[in-house]
Amino acid sequence: MKKFISAILMVMVLGACTKNFEETNTNPYEISGESLKQDFNHVGAFFPTMLGNIFGNQVEHNLANESFARHLATPTPFVGGVNNTTYYIRWNGYWNRIYNNVMAPANQVIAIAEEDGNDVFVEWANLIKVLAMQRLTVYHGPLIYTEYGLGKTGEYDSEEKLYSAFFADLDRIISVLSANTDYTGMSAFDASYGGDVAKWARFANSLRLRLAIRLSKVAPALAKAEGEKAIADPAGLILTNGDNFNISGYGQKYHPAVICFEWGDTRMSASMESILGGYKDPRVEAFFDPVTDMSLVSDHPDFPYKGIRNGATLVAKDDRLPYSTIDISFNDPGVVTQRKFMSADEVYFLLAEAALRGWTGAGDAATNYEMGVRTSFELWGIGGVDDYLADNVSIPLDYDDPKASGDVNDFVNRITSTVAWDEAADNETKLEKIITQKWIAAYTDSMEPWVDHRRTDYPKLPFNYQNDSNSDWGVIPADDFLRRMPFITSERENNPTGVADATSKLGGPDEIGTRLWWDTGGPNF
Amino acid sequence: MKRKVHYFLTCLAFLCIQGIFAQTKTVSGTVTDSDGGPLPGVNVLVQGTTNGTQTDFDGNYSIEASEGDVLSFSYLGTKTQNITVGASNTINLSMEEDASQLDEVVVTALGIKRQEKTLTYAQQTVDADEITKTRDINFLNSINGKTAGVEIKKSSSGAGGSTKIVLRGNKSLSGDSTPLFVIDGIPLANNRGGQPGMWGGTDSGDGLSALNPDDIASISILRGANAAMLYGSAGANGVVLITTKQGQAGKTTVSFNTGITFEDIIELPDLQFKYGAIGGAKESWSTTPGNYASNYVEDFFQTGQNVINSLSISGGNDRTTAYFSYSNTSATGITPNNTYSRNNISLKQSTKLLNDKLTISSNVILSLENSEGRLPSGYYLNPLTGLYFFPRERDFNDYRVNYERFDSTRNLWAQYWFVNDHHQSNPYWIIERQPRTQDNRRVIANLSLNYQIMDKLNLQVRGNYDYGNVIREQQHGATSNSTNVHPNGSWDYHKYDDRLVYTDAILSYDSNISNDFTLNALLGASYQKTNYGEGVRVTASSANGLFYPNEFYFQNLMTNVQVESTTNGEINKQGLFANATLGFKEMLFLDVGGRNDWASTLALTGNDSYFYPSVGLTAIVSEMFNLPEAITFGKFRISNTKVANEVPFNRINPQNTINNSGGVVRNTTKPFTDAKPEIITSTEFGADWRFFGNRLGLEFTWYNIKSEDQFVTVPLDASDPESEGRYTQKYINAGEIVNKGIELTVNGVPVRNDNFEWNTNINYTRNRSEIVDIGPDDERIINLGSSEGYSSRLVEGGRFNDLYVLKFRRDDQGRILFDDTGKPLRTTESELIGNLDPDFTLGWNNSFSFGRFNASMLINGVFGGKVFSQTESMLDGAGVSQRTADARDVGSVPVNGVVESSGAAVTSVDPETWFRFIGDRNGVGEMYVYDRTNIKLSQFSLGYDFNLEKLNLPWVKAASLSFVGNNLFFLKKEAPFDPEIAMSTNRNAVGLDNFNLPSTRNYGINLQVTF
Repeated sequence: MKKFISAILMVMVLGACTKNFEETNTNPYEISGESLKQDFNHVGAFFPTMLGNIFGNQVEHNLANESFARHLATPTPFVGGVNNTTYYIRWNGYWNRIYNNVMAPANQVIAIAEEDGNDVFVEWANLIKVLAMQRLTVYHGPLIYTEYGLGKTGEYDSEEKLYSAFFADLDRIISVLSANTDYTGMSAFDASYGGDVAKWARFANSLRLRLAIRLSKVAPALAKAEGEKAIADPAGLILTNGDNFNISGYGQKYHPAVICFEWGDTRMSASMESILGGYKDPRVEAFFDPVTDMSLVSDHPDFPYKGIRNGATLVAKDDRLPYSTIDISFNDPGVVTQRKFMSADEVYFLLAEAALRGWTGAGDAATNYEMGVRTSFELWGIGGVDDYLADNVSIPLDYDDPKASGDVNDFVNRITSTVAWDEAADNETKLEKIITQKWIAAYTDSMEPWVDHRRTDYPKLPFNYQNDSNSDWGVIPADDFLRRMPFITSERENNPTGVADATSKLGGPDEIGTRLWWDTGGPNF
Repeated sequence: MKRKVHYFLTCLAFLCIQGIFAQTKTVSGTVTDSDGGPLPGVNVLVQGTTNGTQTDFDGNYSIEASEGDVLSFSYLGTKTQNITVGASNTINLSMEEDASQLDEVVVTALGIKRQEKTLTYAQQTVDADEITKTRDINFLNSINGKTAGVEIKKSSSGAGGSTKIVLRGNKSLSGDSTPLFVIDGIPLANNRGGQPGMWGGTDSGDGLSALNPDDIASISILRGANAAMLYGSAGANGVVLITTKQGQAGKTTVSFNTGITFEDIIELPDLQFKYGAIGGAKESWSTTPGNYASNYVEDFFQTGQNVINSLSISGGNDRTTAYFSYSNTSATGITPNNTYSRNNISLKQSTKLLNDKLTISSNVILSLENSEGRLPSGYYLNPLTGLYFFPRERDFNDYRVNYERFDSTRNLWAQYWFVNDHHQSNPYWIIERQPRTQDNRRVIANLSLNYQIMDKLNLQVRGNYDYGNVIREQQHGATSNSTNVHPNGSWDYHKYDDRLVYTDAILSYDSNISNDFTLNALLGASYQKTNYGEGVRVTASSANGLFYPNEFYFQNLMTNVQVESTTNGEINKQGLFANATLGFKEMLFLDVGGRNDWASTLALTGNDSYFYPSVGLTAIVSEMFNLPEAITFGKFRISNTKVANEVPFNRINPQNTINNSGGVVRNTTKPFTDAKPEIITSTEFGADWRFFGNRLGLEFTWYNIKSEDQFVTVPLDASDPESEGRYTQKYINAGEIVNKGIELTVNGVPVRNDNFEWNTNINYTRNRSEIVDIGPDDERIINLGSSEGYSSRLVEGGRFNDLYVLKFRRDDQGRILFDDTGKPLRTTESELIGNLDPDFTLGWNNSFSFGRFNASMLINGVFGGKVFSQTESMLDGAGVSQRTADARDVGSVPVNGVVESSGAAVTSVDPETWFRFIGDRNGVGEMYVYDRTNIKLSQFSLGYDFNLEKLNLPWVKAASLSFVGNNLFFLKKEAPFDPEIAMSTNRNAVGLDNFNLPSTRNYGINLQVTF
């Protein structure tokens, strides 16, 4: 007993045993930075998770840009049929996805890589930041980029400043990557290019061309200079499908397939039906599945595909579930292992537009246009491209919604141009052909077509049938489209000064009808 | 019904058998007061039985007892006396006056016994019969209203569900304010599982349901940190102190208890069955009346049944005592396939050795629980959504009978439902093909050594191991709702262990220093290690599927399904504590205490060792001054305590996680290496006064609890400079919450005479919280659950549980604004509409005894506060509420509105337009906010003690039969659902109803026999 008392007294005098506290307070099922150093995972292991967040899920992607670009449409009347797709904003989550899951980890990775003196990983992460930000800015406009993480208070960059920063960053990124094309350290972590640094440089350079064309109306001189820089850069451009920049699904199913086949929340759009059907585009076989109920396609039984109008009036979700799904092959993660982010067809269409705009080195518009279509056919493994390119008769179809009575949800096609190139036509007609084909070829990545559509008004897509926009988020006229997404609520609440400043940089109210910087609303030429 | 009849017959048969035997003698006598006058109303009880009587007007009594029985004589204001029945048939005695009767010794923190009158803080005790009387499976529910300062909410999930208990308000910006539960002085593992929210989920129970209510001798509520200080930070939110029964020296007593209760729903939402859907829509918005079936909703529910049998054996001699109990609970719920069963075994013994200087006690509690088919709340995978939404013109019976149909394209049985909608499934499919089970296995074992070192010096050493194993599973059959379940089916599985090791050593010294001064001092050390939620988990989702349909085990999981190792964390806490109570002439007591804690969760901060003190003073006025005779006892007390609370597990330096694609998710939470413990400072002032020989008692407490240096999560927006461009959230010590409140308890014996006694007890509780400081950013909003326009927020200057909802936009005259298309306008952001907490609560508990009958009645009242019903909003949007039918009967909804642009008046709106706008998801929340005020008859019981004399049963010591009823009916209620039922028992989704199970009443009979 005496021993016991003295033991207690010892504890009382000496204090508690705290030497294992740090270990106790560590979650055994989390991986430490120290452990990650094995196989250099401490920087590399984060690229899959950053890239895996680029596209976003249902509410950030499918019910946003994928609907706004009119590639896919939902059969589901979410929230009483009043939601983002009918221009009443319910979901606005892309901002947080990008900042929380791409930008913040990217900066950490950059800090570690800088400490290690690993320039390639530094610039690789910087490139991920640019590719994420150039997507986010077409949502909102001004963003926090150059000031992000510099300890200053919440100041947004104007779009003008954003793009010049993107270009400056791309200069540095491309030069570092180009100087290290023999570096092999990325291969273990790079599901896109298998660690081929030269291909990353090529993608970065192609991204510069994309951004240059984006600015071709609002800042023609800057656009031309940057565009020509991209064309001339020895890093080269993505001109073959083998160089396409794809993002791996990392074993997960192509997300729109989950939305389509598991949740029954997305289908082919009426615009796809109208354009692919009208142009007799054989790529439809690779894009979508035909309907089984032929009564749905009584307006064109030889083209057994039926889409849903974006911004349709919907009653019950069941009504349009029998409409065309995306192609069933997307549903197999063993078949569709990656997702297209930038492909050769886009670059050819960018060059075609650059040629129209007289940029040095862009080549011939006709050739680039046709190469764009050809590489797209090749990408999807579809034949018949020559006939397709020669078709100077077919135009897109009018649309009938067989599940809605009368004229509800129906539209008359507004596209008058055909597929075949017409060298004699004016630039406006040529641009319509280029952007319309670019829109088709872009299928599965709908962000850039949404940009092109706002910038050029092509393709001549149908307006919303149901438009629930009101003063809450801004009014969209019946003959116009949603122009942007508002700044997010937590920013409005927690950074009111920054948002007020950003709104003044936006040059209009923080509403969905306010045009972004490059969306001038002016003539295309 | 068959079972009910059978049960009654068994009971009757049992009672008949009783009548056949009988053989005891009659003991009688006269009881007098100290002056020699007859004393009426003295309780006389055969110890260990319920066989009792009272003295008549002349102080005479007579009772059946056998030789060797102990008769216990008790009377308020006197000392209780125990006398063993000998050969004589007459026992006369004189009761000794006990001016205070507060020499009563009560169990306080750590199991330390103290005289109640010396306490410097509030402590209230509920006795065993109050707990077991109700036969509620979750025993905690039965103390609601019986003490002040306690808020108890029952989970809507039914048997085996958890209970929400908050003492003196919410004190934390980050965690919930669940008190510490303690059995016989030793902390109990209480790892509450997941809770439902707006979108779904099921209550996964807590650590309390493992206890057998029949083992409980009493429950003491230490409401404030002042009382709980010796438990250290664990007691910061108060302590629920459970004392279990133990063996009594003397004759072996066998007690058998059997009860059956039935459970019925009190009310369903008010639904319409007059208007169907148009064109196959899933909403019933036709304006053409029809005559549609309406009984299928009620028919979905059934009468639940709960059978409890328990047996206890207690006995021993001067050296060794033992207590053994076994209890079996078997219940069926109010929904199909919902069952709950529990088996408890406990064995407790105590032995004295070494000339009675050493006492070795041990206690082992085993419990096995199984629950099947416990239903969720919220939108997803909830049978109630489909049940309520079902379009009225369709034939529900077809879907009930054919909840699955053979799908020849897949060659399997597939779900049959009229619509593919994420909010609903065939209710019977969910019940039959998405079965949910939970198994809990629990062992609590402890050993205690108590050594009397010297006359005044005592050492106690205790050790406890508490181990729980939980398996929770739901098998989602192929073709379940495709929003949540893969086409081949999905599997939710979580198996984990909860472990708690506790040891302490306490050296105590009790002495009369001089004639005037007394000292009770103690010095102790404790060590506690908890490891909760250590296990493995698989989560179902539409992407997480099975290779082959309907086979639920690991090797059939698709490769993308992550099998996770889980932990809620390991926490090691060590403490050193000391406490001394210095008494002066039995009238002044000074209590001083202090504790130093070392907590592993503060490792790396340098703040992992922290000290906090407490001081309190009690003045017994009735000892100091000569007070009028009417005042039997009077006391004032004041105390001030600081308690420090460590931060949660793994917050200081979190690491990276591995996701289901094998990628690593970078931690973006800033390391928190300067964390400090939260500080809760509690001041309380109280008065305990008794009048008229203890016929009237009054206890009053005022308290002020200040919680500072709160552990707060702060999201770092991209715009926040502190994000450093790397972090998306950080933790800080900041903020201040103040809870102020009043607790008042009035005890009285309004009537006491020969035949009748009425005891009454009123508990009044009022708590006000204020968020004084929410951190460095005064504009910060902390969301405690925000979805679909409902949100409960913490904002500076606001209160805990402030409710925010979307409202109508109105003009200066209060008219609702409309747009040009005839739709009303609502606010873009949610706005404050009220607070979810009540202004005050009242519990009024009464017990009556008249002859061999006794009755009790508890009325609970909650006054003020708000609740919110998303259910009503959804039912309106779908056109299935009675309200929408009434509107369609009339043809329009009258409104006082105006078109914003033109100023034209709007006086009526088409019902469909109106209800689809105000209802559904994200509707106009203000239309679905209701006053929480309600008064209900919470408990009623009527009991009868059998006259064993007449029955002539020598081997039965006592037998009683009682009728019990709980949650019987509302005397007043504003909301369309029971506002005191919690969807979630954590701090989120407070006051929210979203397809919760309907509230139930239960009633039944209970038979207790002691041998």
